[in-house]
Amino acid sequence: MADPVLVVERLSKRFSSGGQPVTVLTDLSFNLAKGESLAVVGRSGSGKSTLLNLLCGLQVPDKGNITVTGESFSESVNSDSDARWTELRRRSIGVVFQQANLMPALSLEDNVRLRSHLAGHAAGHERGWLERLGIGAEADRYPDQVSGGQAQRAALAMVFAMAPAVILADEPTGSLDRNTADEVADCLFAMQRDSGCALVLATHDRELASRCDHLLDLSALHLGGTD
Amino acid sequence: MRVLSGVIVMLFAAVAAGCSDSPGDDGFAGLAKQMGDSEESGFLQPRPGNTLTFPEDWGSHPQHRIEWWYLTANLETPEGKPVGVQWTQFRQALQPRAAETAPPDPGAWPLEAAWMAHGAVSFEGGHWFTEKLARGDVGHAGATAEPFQVWLDDWRLESVPGSADWRLQASGNDWSYDLRLRNTSDVVMHGNEGFSAKSASGEGTMYFSVVDLQIEGTVTLADETLEVSGKGWFDREWSSQFLKAGQQGWDWFALHLAGGEKLMAFRLWEKDDTYLSGSWINANGDVEVLGNEDLTLAAINWRETPQGRIPVAWRLRVPAQEVDLTISAPAGNYWNSGLYRYWESPVSITGSHDGVGYMELTGYSD
Amino acid sequence: MMLVRAFVSHYRRHPFQLAALALMIVLATMLWTGVTVLTDQARNSLFQSEEAVAAGVHVVRTDGRPVRVEDFAELRMAGLCVAPWLEVRRPPPAGRVIGIDPLAMGCFGKAAPGGNRGELDGAPFLDISAAVRLAREGYDSRLYLLASTENETLPQGYALREFSLGPSTGELADSFLLNLDALSLLVLLITGLLVRSVHRLGIAQRQDSFDLLFRFGVPGRRVRQLLALELVVLTGVCVLPGLWLGTQLAAILGGGFGQALNSLFDVNLYAGAAESLPWQAAAVMVLLVLAVCLVDWLVPRRWQRAVSSARGRLLAVLVLFAGLAGVALAPDLAGVFAGTAVVFVAAGWLTPGLLALSAQKLSDGTDLDGSGPLTRWRRRELAVMFGHLALPVVALQFAMATVLAVQALVTTFESTFDDWLAQRLEAEFYVEVPAGADAGLAAERLQNLEGIGPWHRVTRGEAVISDEGAAGEDKTAVVDLFALTPVSELVVDWTLLASMERPWQRLAQGAVMVNEQLARRHQLELGDTLEFRVADTEMGANIVAVYADYGRPAGEILVSGSALPEDFSARFESFSVNPGEWAMAEISEQLADVWNVSDVTVRDNASIHALASQVFGQTFLLTRAISLLTLVLAAVALLIMSWVFFSTRAWYFRLLGIWGLPAGAIHHQLRRLSVTLTLAVTITAIPLGIWLTWVLVSRINPLAFGWSLPMDLYPLFWLELGLIAVVTGLVVAYLMRWQLVQRENGKQVKS
Repeated sequence: MADPVLVVERLSKRFSSGGQPVTVLTDLSFNLAKGESLAVVGRSGSGKSTLLNLLCGLQVPDKGNITVTGESFSESVNSDSDARWTELRRRSIGVVFQQANLMPALSLEDNVRLRSHLAGHAAGHERGWLERLGIGAEADRYPDQVSGGQAQRAALAMVFAMAPAVILADEPTGSLDRNTADEVADCLFAMQRDSGCALVLATHDRELASRCDHLLDLSALHLGGTD
Repeated sequence: MRVLSGVIVMLFAAVAAGCSDSPGDDGFAGLAKQMGDSEESGFLQPRPGNTLTFPEDWGSHPQHRIEWWYLTANLETPEGKPVGVQWTQFRQALQPRAAETAPPDPGAWPLEAAWMAHGAVSFEGGHWFTEKLARGDVGHAGATAEPFQVWLDDWRLESVPGSADWRLQASGNDWSYDLRLRNTSDVVMHGNEGFSAKSASGEGTMYFSVVDLQIEGTVTLADETLEVSGKGWFDREWSSQFLKAGQQGWDWFALHLAGGEKLMAFRLWEKDDTYLSGSWINANGDVEVLGNEDLTLAAINWRETPQGRIPVAWRLRVPAQEVDLTISAPAGNYWNSGLYRYWESPVSITGSHDGVGYMELTGYSD
Repeated sequence: MMLVRAFVSHYRRHPFQLAALALMIVLATMLWTGVTVLTDQARNSLFQSEEAVAAGVHVVRTDGRPVRVEDFAELRMAGLCVAPWLEVRRPPPAGRVIGIDPLAMGCFGKAAPGGNRGELDGAPFLDISAAVRLAREGYDSRLYLLASTENETLPQGYALREFSLGPSTGELADSFLLNLDALSLLVLLITGLLVRSVHRLGIAQRQDSFDLLFRFGVPGRRVRQLLALELVVLTGVCVLPGLWLGTQLAAILGGGFGQALNSLFDVNLYAGAAESLPWQAAAVMVLLVLAVCLVDWLVPRRWQRAVSSARGRLLAVLVLFAGLAGVALAPDLAGVFAGTAVVFVAAGWLTPGLLALSAQKLSDGTDLDGSGPLTRWRRRELAVMFGHLALPVVALQFAMATVLAVQALVTTFESTFDDWLAQRLEAEFYVEVPAGADAGLAAERLQNLEGIGPWHRVTRGEAVISDEGAAGEDKTAVVDLFALTPVSELVVDWTLLASMERPWQRLAQGAVMVNEQLARRHQLELGDTLEFRVADTEMGANIVAVYADYGRPAGEILVSGSALPEDFSARFESFSVNPGEWAMAEISEQLADVWNVSDVTVRDNASIHALASQVFGQTFLLTRAISLLTLVLAAVALLIMSWVFFSTRAWYFRLLGIWGLPAGAIHHQLRRLSVTLTLAVTITAIPLGIWLTWVLVSRINPLAFGWSLPMDLYPLFWLELGLIAVVTGLVVAYLMRWQLVQRENGKQVKS
């Protein structure tokens, strides 16, 4: 595969729950190239969120390697790896959650501005990003003054404004009704295509998952792993 | 009023240093307190052979420890209802003052003596009593011989200017009297030319009386003012050692008999012993001293009161004078409940003679 | 039962919230109980002493001369119940003694002054003859004739006056008590705010559970009943340990206070801590907790909303001005107290909104270059915090204002007391003129001593001034007379509240000065001619200065000794002497020689000064301790509140980390946020504190006692308070950070 943005090799993660070790991921490997999208599906507790956390450095694998835009991380943790992950999240990895992606004290525009400021971009294009997502009129509103769909569009605006290499989206439409969810998903895929970044999308929604280039079913993997 | 009682006890009892072992030995009101060597304490002690000096002895005696001016009167309303009146002023010295020494500066609020006055009225079974206290030498309490004045606050016994009469005024919360007193006889000296022995061992007082006072005036009880008239008896007595150690109290009588005779008798008593003495004054005013053997006195009836059991009827005999009297207090409670409680009641007399008088009993209070 | 379980299940999941509320109630009860017990005991103590010394009225001569033993005898013989009361003032530590005549008090019956106060062997009561002996050693003394009020008619030449003793120190103690009262009211207000804030937060977080219950068909009324029941149980349980802790606190602090009182009054007046638990304080606390927590159900919702609306704010501003005007103009203490309460309410109403608004404005104006967007976010977050933490913020503001005012008041008290002492003890030594000794001869001798330092002769007595304001026929008032011969350089440093040019020279030439009390009471001003009578001589002179004379009820006139008439008789005389080249022992030998006495009483003013200062120091310590405890409580409340509040905001700080902000930078933001919060509260507390100081010093004290204290500001203390605020802010930040780390770990496990 040419120009892989994300390389995952033999990734394993387990927790201990009530004294019993619970294996979440075992020997997971995949690559994702620029402009590609991967849907991660599986039932609750199968490790979707854990995988996303591992992919942005918020959690550390028990075993395995992760390479993002050429930066390579193993299971060993040190201050250097922390700093490198932080830098990656700041400039190259955009994260979108199901909700609460916005600072409630800031207007939508200020949220976008803060995010792109952290990514090192000069101010000035925030309103443009909001307009591209169809919510330019809401720029001065605060998160609690807009609908859930508008809030998720704003979250996408923030992510794309930082021009990321990878977008990690954890159930980005999970709290929206069908129509709104479709509209937001349309935006997401359209802009991902335009920007050429890679997308990892964790979801329950098989229809949404089917819109991605690749599918990773953690339930199956997991079952397979224990067999 | 712990301050007050504390101080009074201090003033009236615990005066001399080196006092006796048990409080019981001090007798009624501490009057048996042993003062020790009189030269050491500086107080003069009356002795047989001491005589009276007039008019000085009407006034106070700063060289003696205790003294009193004492008036009792058996009066009647115009309807013939008996009214008893008492007025007494006491002086108790804390330190003696020599005759030639000037009185202390009042501005120093000296504490050489304490004064106490008692006023009481007895009428129709009721008894009204008030006590007043003062320190001496600051002006509001004292006694002078010339002109004759004995006063404490607004209570006073004083000679009426331009006359031989006296005027007595005193008042309490719900009683008062204003009396004019006329003396119709000579002074009666008790005992040996005025030295009245109080025990066989020689303790005694200087003691004289005016026994035939004619009294008129008003007594006011609550809002009712009574015109009164009758007879009074006035005592002057002073000493530094009144009771002998062990003596617990006394019974004292001052009696006006119907035939014009008067009788004074007292009995000092202790656990196993009594000391009797008195004076018989006939209608002419002649005085006969009565010794221990000349008198008999016995309680014949007792009354239970909340304050103690009190002998209210007595038999008093003077065989040489063919006197055999039954003396009875009227119904009622005649305790004077001040710092030291004692019984002071008018009495009526039957037997060989009829008459009226006053009876003072100490040492019976619980 | 199921309902109850569902109801309290929130606390099973969030035991910390329950603990916070319980802790708040315990601490609030402790503080309130402590303050109540202390003020009650102080009041009882003073009341006892007042009962001991107050006869209600005393008899004075209408000619203004002091009463003497002759007057006593005359009045007694006129049938009046009067008793002598001779006050002998000795400097500490010997203190005041009172000579009484227990025999004369017999007529007072149970109402006897000094009655029930124990026997005569106990200070300060002595037999009057012993007191006279003391007085004649050269102490300032004064005779009063106490009367029972039943006396309707007095002989010609006498009049009845109100009799209140406990003179100089008594008023200082009263003033102190009044301050303590004001303080305890503030404490109640603050604790109420704190309890309410913690409780409201808990309710807000349980709102979802309540909604759920409502959806399950549980009526809202039933939920409220359960809430009230829960609060009653919790309060009942928590008030008890608070009560106990409060009495312990009072016992610890009260020991020092009792000591101070004893030193002030020379009597063991402090009603000890052996009394039973102060249930009244507990009852007040229970009522307070229920009231502040349940008030929402009583006040219509429309009003509640109106409070935070723009119109509400306007109303608050109006209320604020009304309160300020009330305090400035109120003719009596009640008015000032009410006005103060109104101002505090309005200030509390406005402050959080204003702070939030300022933070908002500041963030709107943030320069968006550089770290601008982050700064803007922090300022917005601050504005949100001001809104959410309104109650603890206001409580902290009040507590800080109180501490500030108390500190200024106490420091002012201390420094003016120092001035006052210096004024009274102006020379290195003072020498009392023994009774009967001729002060004039001594003055001549001192005049002739070569090389002696500055000295003057002090003569004290009485003067009569006309008193137009007096009721009844008697239009005169007796005031203290204070004469200096010569007007030496020892006095020129006195604090003059108002003066003409060269006041001391003018005084020497026959003018007069008056103390503040006299000037206030009789509306005397500079340049007025004061008519007064000394002995039988009518005098008149220009007022050239008004001097400060703290803590004394009496009016006083200061004259040059050369102006005194021949027939004036001094009540007390002394010399103030700086020995200069001489040894004091030599000077006292000279004086002993002049007076033909074996020994002269010389007092070393430095030691008196030290002792007196120590006594007052103890008194002030208590005030400070209480106010600081209030501050600590408010700070603890803010910590608790911030902790709980932060649990609702932690996600957003985590979001910053997800967005790539390094942990160090996040913690930096946390610190800046919380320190800005506490510092902003401090800044709003300063004007309120200054204003409160002004009220205590310039409004309450003059209205209550007729003398004011100078108003001093202590910016250094503001800095100290700022430092405390910074530390509080840092602790808050640390707690938040700790919570953030905990949560991050927790989040990972939960995923």
